[in-house]
Formats: sequence, structure tokens, C-alpha cells
Amino acid sequence: LFSFFGTLTGGTEITKENLEPVLEKMREHLVGKNVAADIAEKICHGVGTSLEGKSKSTFSGIASIVKSSIEETLTSILTPKRRVDILRDVETAKKQKKPYVIVFCGVNGVGKSTNLSKICYWLLQNNNSVRMAACDTFRAGAVEQLKTHMHKLNSHQKQTGKSATVQLFESGYGKDAANVANDAIKLSKEDGTNVVLVDTAGRMQDNEPLMRALAKLVTYNNPDLVLFVGEALVGNESVDQLSKFNQALADCSDQANPRGIDGIVLTKFDTVDDKVGAAISMTYITGQPIVFVGTGQTYADLKKLNVSSVVAALLT
Amino acid sequence: MVLADLGRSITQAVQKMSSSPVFDEEVLKEMLKTISRALLMSDVNIKLIKQLCDNIKKLIDFEEMAAGLNKRRIIQRAVFQELCNLVEANKEPYKPVKGKPNVIMFVGLQGSGKTTTCSKLAYYYKRKNWKACLICADTFRAGAYDQIKQNAVKAGIPFYGSYSEHDPAVIAAEGVEKFKKEKFDIIIVDTSGRHKQEDALFEEMLEVANAVNPHQIIFVMDASIGQACEAQAKAFSDTVDIGAVIVTKLDGHAKGGGALSAVAATGSPIVFIGTGEHIHDLEPFQSQPFVKKLLGMGDVMGLIEK
Ligand SMILES: Nc1nc2c(ncn2[C@@H]2O[C@H](COP(=O)(O)OP(=O)(O)OP(=O)(O)O)[C@@H](O)[C@H]2O)c(=O)[nH]1
Ligand SMILES: Nc1nc2c(ncn2[C@@H]2O[C@H](COP(=O)(O)OP(=O)(O)OP(=O)(O)O)[C@@H](O)[C@H]2O)c(=O)[nH]1
Ligand SMILES: [Mg+2]
Ligand SMILES: [Mg+2]
Repeated sequence: LFSFFGTLTGGTEITKENLEPVLEKMREHLVGKNVAADIAEKICHGVGTSLEGKSKSTFSGIASIVKSSIEETLTSILTPKRRVDILRDVETAKKQKKPYVIVFCGVNGVGKSTNLSKICYWLLQNNNSVRMAACDTFRAGAVEQLKTHMHKLNSHQKQTGKSATVQLFESGYGKDAANVANDAIKLSKEDGTNVVLVDTAGRMQDNEPLMRALAKLVTYNNPDLVLFVGEALVGNESVDQLSKFNQALADCSDQANPRGIDGIVLTKFDTVDDKVGAAISMTYITGQPIVFVGTGQTYADLKKLNVSSVVAALLT
Repeated sequence: MVLADLGRSITQAVQKMSSSPVFDEEVLKEMLKTISRALLMSDVNIKLIKQLCDNIKKLIDFEEMAAGLNKRRIIQRAVFQELCNLVEANKEPYKPVKGKPNVIMFVGLQGSGKTTTCSKLAYYYKRKNWKACLICADTFRAGAYDQIKQNAVKAGIPFYGSYSEHDPAVIAAEGVEKFKKEKFDIIIVDTSGRHKQEDALFEEMLEVANAVNPHQIIFVMDASIGQACEAQAKAFSDTVDIGAVIVTKLDGHAKGGGALSAVAATGSPIVFIGTGEHIHDLEPFQSQPFVKKLLGMGDVMGLIEK
């Protein structure tokens, strides 16, 4: 039946010429949704190439064909190729009698420490004991920030009659972050703390000394998970941020154990309305999953990415 | 820094247009496409880009215009004028008066760099021998008071705040009163990060502003922000009377084009830029010399003075 209609309506071919204006509109639309310009272009180009030369029934216009093809592409970019199951991996680590270690990294002010604390809350809710490692030994108030979260989280646990607690490991300011992390992990191994959450100082991705220090922290301590924290507000910079953080880690790791970012925490998702394009830029660049989405400033504001609603927001 | 690369690619686009043997709508379209692309890559707001291109197109009537150089000159001038409009605001920034209390309140999105920049600005005035101080009216962010305190102590700047008072408006009012009595020139009030989607946070901002009646409210914007800037900047500006913008984190790779929409949305000029995490990493910013420098990157100087 399908082919019959095809021949009857003359099944016109999709050409470069009639695709071009539609793709151009789509590209602009995606950029307006805060997808990095480069990536919007690549996505549209890819869709264009795949559609060119195909025949279309006259029932569906080029625009709707392009739209559904873009929708497919966006969905596939956002759909994790690999599942990061922290709770399961924590259980495995427990059996091996070692702490599960997560390092949080990213540029300045994106929400590393806050979302570390939200993840801590989630781990405590799931009956895991936690130690926060105050490895931001640079920014004023960074240690006190975590200390405040520790007190709040512990008193919440107490109020709700739960037994798991969080402790803070700190060596004050000015210390070498890699060593602070190492001490925290060692102590946790000794006292059987289940999870170590390593907070690091924010750094600009092209500040080489600071990037090298981060890579050193990661190679030296070999954490189970390296999470890149990026804010949904970021524009074209997301591309550069992620590729340089990834590269810095790769440069410092040996061939046998290549190391990179294992996952993304996308923060401040509550501040961008429907301009959710950063989710696309970040996953496109790394191929790594968005493990958590930060949706506010309280402990409960931590969500899983809802792929279809993000795609819907991008296409409206 | 901001727009430096942008200046280069735009200058190139204009030069390419100038050297093309024919000059018609096709050439103009091509040039505008190149310019738009460069602006998009720098995060400039997409609506502002459209406006810029439309304005340039409007200036050119191919039928009416005489051939040759004239057209090109008109376009060159239009391009640069439109670029200037992007960074320039009509409003003059508030000028603090020495010997009087000048209350400056900082507002902005979460993590944009308010607290760090407050300390930098206080230090900036202190070095110029003004009596400057800091007030922490952020009672929400964990460790906020410690952050200001540590910065202030290190830089030898008097500060005011509280671990027990929860109402930022109360702290702000108390601090300002205290420092006014002590005859401080520059009284800087730091506030919590906030966003337009949460009404209560905007109400709180208004309460603090009403409590201290600032001479100037500075909106702090991170240079890496993308297309979400405009809506946020506009919402801040609709709620309180923003008088100036500071763009932070320009020591990084970011071009800062997204933050420029804050200039358009608030109608306020950029007065300083942040170029690092340390207390001296603050530079005064004036759009005029900046744009001139930008224009100086090609041999198109003097176009705008005509
Ligand atoms: N609205 C909103 N705000 C957030 C979210 N996550 C973090 N924030 C806020 O962003 C600001 C910065 O958060 P931090 O956790 O201190 O950021 P950071 O990356 O650790 O900063 P540095 O350590 O200074 O680089 C704080 O005001 C947080 O409350 C989120 O998901 N939504
Ligand atoms: N590289 C660089 N980092 C900066 C600059 N300005 C601020 N930062 C960093 O950005 C991060 C956030 O700065 P804060 O001053 O805490 O931001 P804030 O706006 O007060 O944050 P909230 O109070 O949580 O909303 C810190 O790590 C600062 O060191 C800058 O110009 N360059
Ligand atoms: Mg932090
Ligand atoms: Mg602050």
C-alpha cells in the first residue's frame, strides 16, 4: 500500500536545494535553545546528509521529515550508551571492603559543592555512610561550605531516624588537593566509610597549572567515578570546557588505563526555561551520560535526565 | 578577551566584502552570514544578532544607491555602529562621591561571582584610599559569610554579617547603618544568588534593596553564559533598578558575548570585568575605548568618527 501511494503521488526526491532552507531554520532554532553553534551545525548537517536523495511522499512536507529526523538524532545523543549505576557500584565496593570514590570537577561556580552535597543526601537516604573530602583548598569559605552541609545533613538524618552519617575530611586551606583526597580515602578504608565525595576547586579549562593539578589528583587517587559538573546556563563554552577537562585527564593517564570524564552533572537546570541546549552540547562532546540533573538549591533538587522532555523542549 | 576574536572575524568579513569586484545583495548576504556566525559562536543573543543584521540591511537600498565605494563605506559604518550598540548603554554609570556613604548592592544568578567581585571592588577602592567595607546579606548559601570574612580579613577590609540572623534585609540594614555612622565611603552589600523562576528569591532581593536604598545596583554576569542570559537579565532589571553590569571570569576562554545581552536587557553599561580569582583581578571597563580598540584591529579606523 505504501509503495502504491508513493508511485501515485510521484514520490518526489529530497534534494539539497529543498533541504537547505529547512535545515538552516532548524540550526537557528537549536542555537536559540542554547545548543552550541558548532554542534547545532553538525547535527543539522548530519541529518541533511542522511535525508538527501531519499524520496518522500507528498503527504509529509520536508519540514516535518527534517523535524522527526532531528528528534531522533537528539534523542540518540541524550540516550546514555552506558549506564552509570552508583548505588550498585557502591554495593560492589562494599563487598571488596573499600570506599567508592567520586571526584567532582568543573569550572568556577557551576555548583560542584552544592550538588556534591545533594548526592551525599541521596547516598545517606540509601543508607550509605559518606565522607566529604574538602579538596578545594583555595576558594575562601570552601571548607566551611561543606562543613555547613555536613551539619545540616546529619541533623536531617537524625530527625528522620536514619543512622547513616556524613563526615568531613579537611586539612584547611593551601594544602595539596591530591594529598588531602588521598588521606580522606585512606581513612575511609580504615574506618569502613562507604563513599568518599571529593570536592575540588573550580578552575578555568585553559589554566594549565590548575588543570594539571586536577589530573594529578585523579591519577594519584584513581577514583571510581569522575563527574564533570557543568551548568545548563553555559553557552558555546560547554564544548571547550568538556573537551579540555577530558583531555587534561587523558594526558595524565597512562596508556593502559585511559582516564576521562565518566559522567556529567548538569546543574541549574531550573534557571534556563526551555533553553536546554547545553544538555545536547555536553553529551555530544563527551559521549558520556548526564548522570544527574540539578534542579534547585535544596538537597532534594537532584533528578535523572528526562530525555523525551528535553527533546520536546528543544523542538518547541 | 571579549569580542577580540569576534572583532577579527568581523573585520575580515567586511574586508572581504570591500575587496569583492561586484557588490550586490549576494555579497551583503554573505557578509552578514559570516558576521552572524561569529556572533553566534561568541554566544551573542540570537535576537540581538537578527536585529543587528536587519538594521544593516535597512540602511542599504541597492536600487537607490550609487555604485562603488559609497555603498561599502555605508555598510562598514553600519556594521561597526551596530557592534558599538551591542556593548554600549545609553545610561551613565553612577559615580561614587568621596566623603559620602555610597551604597552599592550586588545581585545576580547563582555562582556568577558576586561575592568574589564584591571583595575585589572593595579592595579596588581601598587601594585608592577610599574607606570601603563589605556586608554579607547572603544568609542562604552555605559558608557565604565565611567566604566574605576570609576575603575581607585577607585584604584588611572591615565587614559585617551574622551567623544567626536569617533575614538578609535586616543584616543589610544594620550593616549599612553601622558603616554610615562610621563614615565609610564605599559600602558594598553582597546578596545571595537567585534566578527569575523563583519568585520568593526576587521578592527577597527587592526587600534588601528597599532596606538599604542603594545608590547603585550592580548585576554580575558570568562570561560563559549562553542564550539564557537575556531573560534572566531582563527579569532582574524589571524587579530592581540595575545601574551597571560586571562581567566575570573573562580570564577563561569565554568570549563573553552572551553576557552582552545583559547590557541590552538592563540598559546599563559594563563598568568592570573580572579576570581571575584573586582580589586584584578586576579591571575597569569603558565601552568607548574598548570598541575603538576593537575597530583598530583592521584598517577600518576612523569610519565611525565620520
Ligand atoms: N538554581 C540552582 N542553583 C544551583 C544549583 N546547583 C547549585 N546552585 C547554586 O550555585 C551556586 C554555586 O554553587 P557551588 O556549589 O558553590 O559551586 P561550585 O562549583 O562548588 O563553586 P566553586 O567551588 O567556587 O567553583 C550556589 O549558590 C548554589 O546554591 C541548581 O541546580 N539550581
Ligand atoms: N577564573 C575566575 N574565577 C572567578 C572570577 N570571579 C569569580 N570567580 C570564581 O567563581 C566562583 C564563584 O564565585 P562566587 O563569588 O562565590 O559567586 P557568587 O555569585 O557569590 O555565588 P553565590 O553566592 O552562590 O550565588 C568562585 O570559584 C570564584 O573564585 C573571575 O573573574 N575569574
Ligand atoms: Mg565549590
Ligand atoms: Mg556569593
